[in-house]
Amino acid sequence: MTEQIKPDLNFINSVINAGGESLKKCYQCSTCTVVCNVTPDDKPFPRKEMVQAQWGMKDKLFGNPDIWLCHQCSDCTAYCPRGAKPGEVLGAIRKLSIEEFSVPGFLARMVNQPKFLLVLLAAPVLLYTLIIASQGFFTDGVPTENGKIVFGKFLFSLYYVDTVFTAAALFAVFSLYLGVTKYWRAMAAANGGVSSGDFGKALSDTFMDILGHNRFKKCEVTKDRATAHMLVFYSFIGLFITTILAFARVIPEYIHHLHLSEGIDVHMLDWLAYIYKPIGNVSAAALVLGIFLMMSNRFKNQGKAGLGSYYDWLFISLVAGVGISGLLAQFLRMANTVAAYPTYVAHLCLVFFLFAYAPFSKMAHMAYRTTALVYSRQTGRDTGN
Amino acid sequence: MEKKFGVYICKGCNIAETVDIEKLKKSASIAAKIPADSVREHQILCSPEGLELIKNDVSAGTNTLIIGACSPRVKFEEFDFPGAIVERVNLREFVSWTSDPMTEATQTLADDYMKMGIIKTQKGSLPEPNILPDLSNSILVIGGGITGLTAALEAANAGYQVTLVEKEAELGGWSAKLYKEAPRAYPYEKLDEPMIFDTIREVEAHSGIKVYKSTMVEKTDGQPGLFDVTLTGNGSTETIKIGAIVMAAGWTPYDATKLGHLGYGHPNVITNVQMEEMAKKGGIVRPSDGKPAMKVAFIQCAGSRDANHLPYCSSFCCATSLKQAKYVREKSADAIAMIFYKDIRTPGQSELFYKNMQNDPGVLLTKGDVTGIADAGNGNLFVEAENTLLGEKISVEADLVVLATGIVPATRAPQEYLDGLSEAGKKGDDAKKAYLEETAKPDYILNLGYRQGPEIPTLEGAYGFADSNFICFQYETRRTGIYSAGCVRQPMNMSEAAQDASGAALKAIQCVEHVAKGIAVHPRAWDVTYPDPMMIRCTSCKRCTEECPFGAIDEDEKGTPFYRINRCRRCGTCMGACPERIVAFKDFSVDIVGSMIKGVDINEDDFRIIVLACENDACPALDSAAIKRMKLNPAVRIIPVRCLGSTNLVWVTDAFSTGIDGMILLGCKYGENYQCHFVKGSELANYRFSKVKETLDKLQLESDRCQLMQVSISDYDKLPQMINDFVERVEEIGPNPFKEF
Repeated sequence: MTEQIKPDLNFINSVINAGGESLKKCYQCSTCTVVCNVTPDDKPFPRKEMVQAQWGMKDKLFGNPDIWLCHQCSDCTAYCPRGAKPGEVLGAIRKLSIEEFSVPGFLARMVNQPKFLLVLLAAPVLLYTLIIASQGFFTDGVPTENGKIVFGKFLFSLYYVDTVFTAAALFAVFSLYLGVTKYWRAMAAANGGVSSGDFGKALSDTFMDILGHNRFKKCEVTKDRATAHMLVFYSFIGLFITTILAFARVIPEYIHHLHLSEGIDVHMLDWLAYIYKPIGNVSAAALVLGIFLMMSNRFKNQGKAGLGSYYDWLFISLVAGVGISGLLAQFLRMANTVAAYPTYVAHLCLVFFLFAYAPFSKMAHMAYRTTALVYSRQTGRDTGN
Repeated sequence: MEKKFGVYICKGCNIAETVDIEKLKKSASIAAKIPADSVREHQILCSPEGLELIKNDVSAGTNTLIIGACSPRVKFEEFDFPGAIVERVNLREFVSWTSDPMTEATQTLADDYMKMGIIKTQKGSLPEPNILPDLSNSILVIGGGITGLTAALEAANAGYQVTLVEKEAELGGWSAKLYKEAPRAYPYEKLDEPMIFDTIREVEAHSGIKVYKSTMVEKTDGQPGLFDVTLTGNGSTETIKIGAIVMAAGWTPYDATKLGHLGYGHPNVITNVQMEEMAKKGGIVRPSDGKPAMKVAFIQCAGSRDANHLPYCSSFCCATSLKQAKYVREKSADAIAMIFYKDIRTPGQSELFYKNMQNDPGVLLTKGDVTGIADAGNGNLFVEAENTLLGEKISVEADLVVLATGIVPATRAPQEYLDGLSEAGKKGDDAKKAYLEETAKPDYILNLGYRQGPEIPTLEGAYGFADSNFICFQYETRRTGIYSAGCVRQPMNMSEAAQDASGAALKAIQCVEHVAKGIAVHPRAWDVTYPDPMMIRCTSCKRCTEECPFGAIDEDEKGTPFYRINRCRRCGTCMGACPERIVAFKDFSVDIVGSMIKGVDINEDDFRIIVLACENDACPALDSAAIKRMKLNPAVRIIPVRCLGSTNLVWVTDAFSTGIDGMILLGCKYGENYQCHFVKGSELANYRFSKVKETLDKLQLESDRCQLMQVSISDYDKLPQMINDFVERVEEIGPNPFKEF
């Protein structure tokens, strides 16, 4: 069947501007597909993605699971004889595809551009400034528990932490859901309908892949990345568990506070702290270690793999910032220093940034890549081998 | 000249370790008829002391020197003794490096080589150059494009009078019709303004160049140094004297009307030449309605690298389309240029221009075979292609399609016409008459007054380009003193054409200088000998006039052949062709080689094989094999010949009738990828060789005893094995029965 090609010059320019400035250098020798360890053998990437991007074939690229099967090992970039950096170009295309599918799209465009960084950051900062002002802390000082700093006394978590973050997280989840379903439909449209493959098996296989970081381990040039990513990945899981348990611990207190049950023992679940505090601390340490490894890997490999774009570094900085500010806030609190308060607020702002903008930042990769992997498994495009 | 012989034997480079020098001296003295103690030896003959030995003898009157040492291909400056006959016997490469040391067979081999060398000098005589009177050293350049203009300037700046002939009213050729040129200098980013107009001004202002515009060559008579060229144009005719000619007649674009399958005929499908005209007028538009073209498709190899059209690559079209893509992009930042190619070929530094253009976001490239062009209904077109990088079968809309058509050399039409004429002539006078009436005669370029025809002859595989044996000798044609340059020689871009022009100008200068000294022009550029036939015995059979690869032999009114000696390359093809065996050079003749063959020591127990080896490829290959110390069967006696084309079949009879057991004719590859230094020599030898069976049958000998082999210089590693295998086959056949007589 003859395929009608409609070149889109704007799209070509946007790939170039999104970090794919080497795109046009590709002369289609296909060295990249040969050295790639994660591509399927049939219609392998990234050669075809390079020429599709060169010809501005936007729909073809956005409806393609392959752009996410790529884990940006950068083996292709290291071996490219022309310096076309396919790894970086595919990274740019992924960024544009998030921009294309995420809802609302304007937020993605803001996240992608350094000039909007302060605006985006202003949202949580303003929110917490207002909260702190409304509590009168600026004028009256912060209440303590027998002179000890307790963050719960400072910002009552039910209203000022859990509510805010639950709202942010729900927004993020909902937005990601919309984005991912749009992506799924685009893939189905580009590949001639929905697959009849076993979705459940595809999903479970994909999760096993992710938990084992099987694809990362196939990378050669940047093989150290698997360790770094695994540390960050599992620390996120650890921190998620920490958050859930910490929330569970204060449920009796909330019940008491909201007068739902007068006689409840507010300390009945305090024992949970013995579980989540070690998990939290270990996870935080792992997060900081992992993200620093990631940074050092990027510097170490920049000659072969490139340093990455603003988009990459925004996400890395954010994760590093969340980890460091979290640990620091805890240490300063234990040291009973006043500096603990601004550090805690900074931590909250960064976490807010990370969560609320997750559907638009590189954080969204976890949803889109998982979707693409499941889709590829279900259609048989990818068997994980 | 009364010959006084001097025989010298070098003992260096293993010779003394392989051969008994005393015995060799003795046998050589007998052959040379000189006292045994007068044969001189030296530890290192090429050393100053060794050379002094020879020089002293020359001063004392020795004038015929037989030097048994290394290959004549080396140390030729050391063993140069003007005024004396010098024969270099290749003891080192043909004996000591290729044979077992101190065996009887090796000793006989060395004896035979010395003897053959001595016979050669006994039969030969000292050559003197043949310098014709009233030679001209002025140079004619045909064609006023970038090649012709550059050649004219180069030759004139070197101090030679130049006449430049251009058939159009203005100089500049295609270069003057360009809107812009692809970048000429680093970083190969910006398009350059055409430079040709500066060159035209320089040529027109040059005191050493006379320019004729709107003029054609009506007649070219004579020979190098003595060409009479008749020019006609602007209502007048003039005959001028010319030493050498640079033919830079250029090219025409391939006829796009034959490209209907690529949409030519549709108003919005144009050629690269038309694109250039359009850009020069100022706009890149859809011709059908004058709207700016925003989606321009370039189809590369339109009618090129295509068996049904031009089978070759025209070499410049890729860079031209990239350049025209830049026209499109510079007109509008929103416009795109799509290039469909077979392979992007941007030779030399154009590669950098390609890389720069590829980096333009609006220049889209894909490999692919364009299968057709369909009307999109709105004046636009769908370009349909297969096997693309984008997919199996694709279609892209374009508002303008540019066909990158290739070049047809100006020599092709006359060649095709003349070949058609000679084909018709073979069918009889009526067919010839009909051909002349029905076929339009194209413009000739040279109008040569040569017996072999008015233009440079066609060569298979050259696709109408003026053949130039370019593997080794660029610019050479099969008409000595006429050098082809630029696109008439092979497809090339403008910077290559300008370089080509310099090369051809130098060749033209070399030609006039060589004929002034009476030495061969090419490739035997040292050779003062020339064919000197004994005309009294000529039967006017015309075999020489037909076979001479260079058309050096014309016929007078009575049909008797005569040499235009400055056209001659001294290959000896005429000598090989002549059934009367009347052609001879002072140091190379039917008699000399025949006597050398007969001089080989024959005995009933040993086999003897003669190898007639071409001096140009086979001999160097044998020397190379010797340097590698590869062994040759000691039955083999190698006799160098100027070209296998000089092989006269009587040598075969000579050899077998004296008891030689086998014979190899070792020449260059012929046919499409010929390597022959004289273009046709080995091919003619092969043709004659096909008759050798008759000769051997007459002698009641097995035809397997004689074989022609084609080798190139790079075959040196296989060559000894080929020869040794042949010797074994002859040994299986058995000894030559004539030995008994």
